[in-house]
Amino acid sequence: MAIYSVYVSSRDDAEAHHWLTFFRRHGYEDLKGLVIERVYWLEGNLRPERLLPLLANPVYQTTSSQSMLDPAQGPILEIAYRHAVTDPETPSILEAAHALGEDGLEFARLSKRYQFCGVTRQDALRIAERFLFNKVVERIREPHELVTTLRPTGEPDPVTTVSLAGLSDEELQALSAARSWYAPLSQMRVIQAHERRIGRPHTDAEIEILAQSWSDHCYHTTWKSLGLLKKLSEATARIAHPLVVSAFKDNAGGIEFYEDWVVTIKGETHNFPSSIAPFGGVATKHGGVIRDTLGFGKGAYPIGGTTIMGTLDPAMPENQVPEGALPPQLILSESIRATAYYMNPMGIPMMHAIYRRHPGYAKCLALGHSLGLIPRKYALKDQPRPGDALLLIGGETGRDGIHGATASSASMTQETLAKESAAVQIGHPITERRFTTAIPALRDRGCIRSITDLGAGGISCGAGEMGAETGVALNLDAVPLKDRSLTAWEILLSESQERMLIAVPPEKLDEAERLLDRYEVRHATIGRFTDSHRLEAAWRGQKVVDLKMSFLWGACPIDPIPMAAPKRELAPLRIPEPKTADEWFEAVHRVLRHYHCADQSAAGSRFDSTVQGRTVVGPYGGKNHRMPSGFYLSAPLRGKNYGVITTVAFNPLYGEIDPAGMAKLMIIEAITKAVVAGADYRELALCDNFYTPRVRPEVAWDLTRMVETIADFSKKIGVPFISGKDSSSGTFDSAGVSIEVPPTLAVMAFGRMPDVRRAVTKDFKRPGNKLLLVGHTDSHALSGSVYADSYGQRGDRLFDPGDGKSIRKLWDALVRVHREEGYVSASAIAEGGVFLPVFEAAYGSGWGAQIDLPRIMEDASTGTKSVVPFRNDGLLFGEFIGAALLEVPPGFDASRSFQGIPYVTLGNVTSESRITLIQEGKTIWQEEVSDLAEVWSKPFREVLE
Amino acid sequence: MSKAVTAILYAPGTNCHEETAAALERAGLRSELALLGDLLKGEIRLEPYQALVIPGGFSYGDHLGAGRIFAILLGARLRDQLTEFLDSGKPVLGICNGFQILAEAGILPYRRLGERAMALLANQSARFEDRRVRLLVSEQECLWTRDLAGQVLEMPSAHGEGRPLFCDSDSGASPRVVLKYSDENGAPTLHYPENPNGAPDAVAGITDETGLVLGLMPHPERASLAVHESQDGLKLFKNLARWLLA
Repeated sequence: MAIYSVYVSSRDDAEAHHWLTFFRRHGYEDLKGLVIERVYWLEGNLRPERLLPLLANPVYQTTSSQSMLDPAQGPILEIAYRHAVTDPETPSILEAAHALGEDGLEFARLSKRYQFCGVTRQDALRIAERFLFNKVVERIREPHELVTTLRPTGEPDPVTTVSLAGLSDEELQALSAARSWYAPLSQMRVIQAHERRIGRPHTDAEIEILAQSWSDHCYHTTWKSLGLLKKLSEATARIAHPLVVSAFKDNAGGIEFYEDWVVTIKGETHNFPSSIAPFGGVATKHGGVIRDTLGFGKGAYPIGGTTIMGTLDPAMPENQVPEGALPPQLILSESIRATAYYMNPMGIPMMHAIYRRHPGYAKCLALGHSLGLIPRKYALKDQPRPGDALLLIGGETGRDGIHGATASSASMTQETLAKESAAVQIGHPITERRFTTAIPALRDRGCIRSITDLGAGGISCGAGEMGAETGVALNLDAVPLKDRSLTAWEILLSESQERMLIAVPPEKLDEAERLLDRYEVRHATIGRFTDSHRLEAAWRGQKVVDLKMSFLWGACPIDPIPMAAPKRELAPLRIPEPKTADEWFEAVHRVLRHYHCADQSAAGSRFDSTVQGRTVVGPYGGKNHRMPSGFYLSAPLRGKNYGVITTVAFNPLYGEIDPAGMAKLMIIEAITKAVVAGADYRELALCDNFYTPRVRPEVAWDLTRMVETIADFSKKIGVPFISGKDSSSGTFDSAGVSIEVPPTLAVMAFGRMPDVRRAVTKDFKRPGNKLLLVGHTDSHALSGSVYADSYGQRGDRLFDPGDGKSIRKLWDALVRVHREEGYVSASAIAEGGVFLPVFEAAYGSGWGAQIDLPRIMEDASTGTKSVVPFRNDGLLFGEFIGAALLEVPPGFDASRSFQGIPYVTLGNVTSESRITLIQEGKTIWQEEVSDLAEVWSKPFREVLE
Repeated sequence: MSKAVTAILYAPGTNCHEETAAALERAGLRSELALLGDLLKGEIRLEPYQALVIPGGFSYGDHLGAGRIFAILLGARLRDQLTEFLDSGKPVLGICNGFQILAEAGILPYRRLGERAMALLANQSARFEDRRVRLLVSEQECLWTRDLAGQVLEMPSAHGEGRPLFCDSDSGASPRVVLKYSDENGAPTLHYPENPNGAPDAVAGITDETGLVLGLMPHPERASLAVHESQDGLKLFKNLARWLLA
């Protein structure tokens, strides 16, 4: 068959420009120019010129049958998909070619030629290998490679058996490591004993399945051993919240919305892949958590997402980056590109984009949430029945992501980067977008008995869990492959993205297939549910898996985890209090410049926040749409004013001081952010995402205290956790040193509001209005604050927000005053203390503020007056989690509205766009809001550039 | 509510069809989601519809270029139906990816199916830009902006490829600009991010010689409902309603 190539060059190529800037930023300053040429490889009996309208727009593209690059200008590398792999673009090219009447085209491939000007071929290769392609699926084409066919070729390895009989403990451990199973000895011994019992060696597929299903990532062995999930779910059961529909048992959690709808939430971390291959890792983080929404009940529809990243300081010079870790600036910028790449085509609005740093995040935190909407009647799955078809929908299965679950459960070392990059999947949002449209249609026509996503663990985990109560028999020959060389265990374990499994009642299978065809979603019936209570799989005429479900899901040994109280090395803060105008200027700028407080819209503005037309309050608001809103508000039902509100609390600076205290603060912060916006905390639920170091006795202690604290506190305040995820592998081993993530808990609060028009935003509304600070304060509790961090200090004592009872009293008062329309703008105090929201509200409104530093703060709850002298900087920058900054009309009677609750009048809104600090009638510092905005808007942008 | 039905034409990767339907409904119009695949298979036809809206998204994953595959399928397989639709004087709106499709199909700027005379290039920033923009409506005759000349419309804009490039026309025709990105005083601007993609001459939306076809990068359907921050986008859909009811 003839093979043709068509070369396309584009003028004004933004992609080439992006990479040129990026490579120069990452150590290749010698690179003077970069040109990208696309090559379309076409196989068949055809006239390629008939395809030119498809391959190029002549307004800005030029085509040729030969490369237009001049080799004298610099080394050229052509990156193509591997022979065994299908290009994602191939089906689009074939379909459009046939539309153009070119039926002779039988296969097509796309490759890209990069010309690097000003560097050597070795440098070009290094750049390409590091940034431009994924070796698992792509390769560099040799310049004069002989091509006989473009079609995928390759032969799989045969299935083998692996006998553990007679192996010593040392040999078992060595084998587990050599095969990348990462299974602890106790599991290897159970598998060894199982072999004796069944009287045959396991197949490679069976051991791979066991190692994977029992990994911490899939089986949550750490949490199970410590009994943590039980603690949380018991607390939620105890609260018995009337709005909770589904908690901790499905792919997401769900609460009642209005008019027989349910809203769902799920948060998922993808830390390991995002650390070794941030673009692929973060893209698939989004893909995966969105599929958790699609896999809730009988299929919910995603209506919002988040991206939350914790890295090392991106401003860190590359020579200080721990050996084996990627530079944090690279992780940050690639993660932003990946979020845009995945979320925008999905058509899911961005609710929160949050970037934080901590010296412990050598293995980064990559968290994403997905908010969903589903009719009440579809919110609970049915159990698959024997005879139901197991339908695999979405993308083809490839080699990507193999050993993702086991590798991400292991700790990360400097070798991991090279060894396990195959564990990172490749994401194609168009494939997921197709079934996102199709799933509600399938659901509404009764085609879905049960549905789940394929993530970690692939088909074996997904099918094994779905069929746990019945049994399931898989026909692996029916699985559509993008890589022809996959053997049975690889098909079973592959974590190729954009795939879901559906249990379809047999009488509905035809209709399901027709619907999927209509929406152009690839599908295959890859098995049947049985009554055998076994997981069975056949491949090429062989039975390659035959395991009892009771063994697969019941025999995993849970190693006991010893606990020991950690010794923390904490030192009290030593920060001089600013006195002079210059010192105040410096203090204010420290906070505004801080990574956690600075304007992050350079990232956030790359994500669509208004798609779906449901957004009422997006991530940025105010006059110029750059003011961080502090909450997201959606009106999911078109034509109705009902709202879903979401907020996030994530602060990596508190955990190392007091993990349990941090956990409580995160709950209070997330809820208060929603309450000040106008939500009633009694209509909220919570989602937890933990990230802790590889377990050791002290980590187990901290983790247990954190979970006990949030379980207990959720009961006290009556707000339940309904979904969550844990990752217990936040340790990076580099050059003999273990870098551990700080004990991390991100809390999302989400819930319903009867009328979105009643939401209160942060921006100031009217000069002359008063500013009130309501809630507990402690001007000496600066530990863990951004302000302390700006001095490189952490401190030894977290802010005490009070007990559940006093917090509820505060929330009750806020809810009541909101109902009375008592306040017109509001912020919850968090990073940056009182000062940051004052600045943001001024910036977002164009007005200013005058702050009178009170000399004495009245604690109305006790009627006592504080006798300890205040720290003025503590009053301004202390992070009084739970407290709220409210803008109220001049005549507002705080003593009546907030009776029995501590509050203080801080100052007022001014028509001059300036912030002024006054003490005892004297101005101690003032600055124009526009000048402050300049300081605030630079640091994050600069670190990206 | 009008009896006339507007087709919202969508394909795999389109992701703004539902909110576009909601905006049309708010304007008092009936609409139907028409799947491109159903048209290609002949299961439905364009002819019964009185107007056509191609909404935003990433049709066919933006493979080979934003809007390219959709446009090729339209131009090659639905040429007769589309020509008949256009020749019978029915209005067409392309929003964001819909605009990219109209441009790739040659329907804009000069209403010549299959003859491309413009491209929507990657934004100057080389990034997707999620912004709120102000659009100054020009005096240019266009049914979608009738009686709005001189007004400044606020609405969200969200795209990665929206910078128009026009090729010189042999006939001396030039693109008819209807909407321009403008600053807070309502003056057309090249300043980023008020002009989010670096569009020369601040061009955000153009019409054809009949004034029936409008292509624009920003999203009027996201500024159409009571819960939206602005409802300026609804004015475009109301103009369609007025025209269809007349």
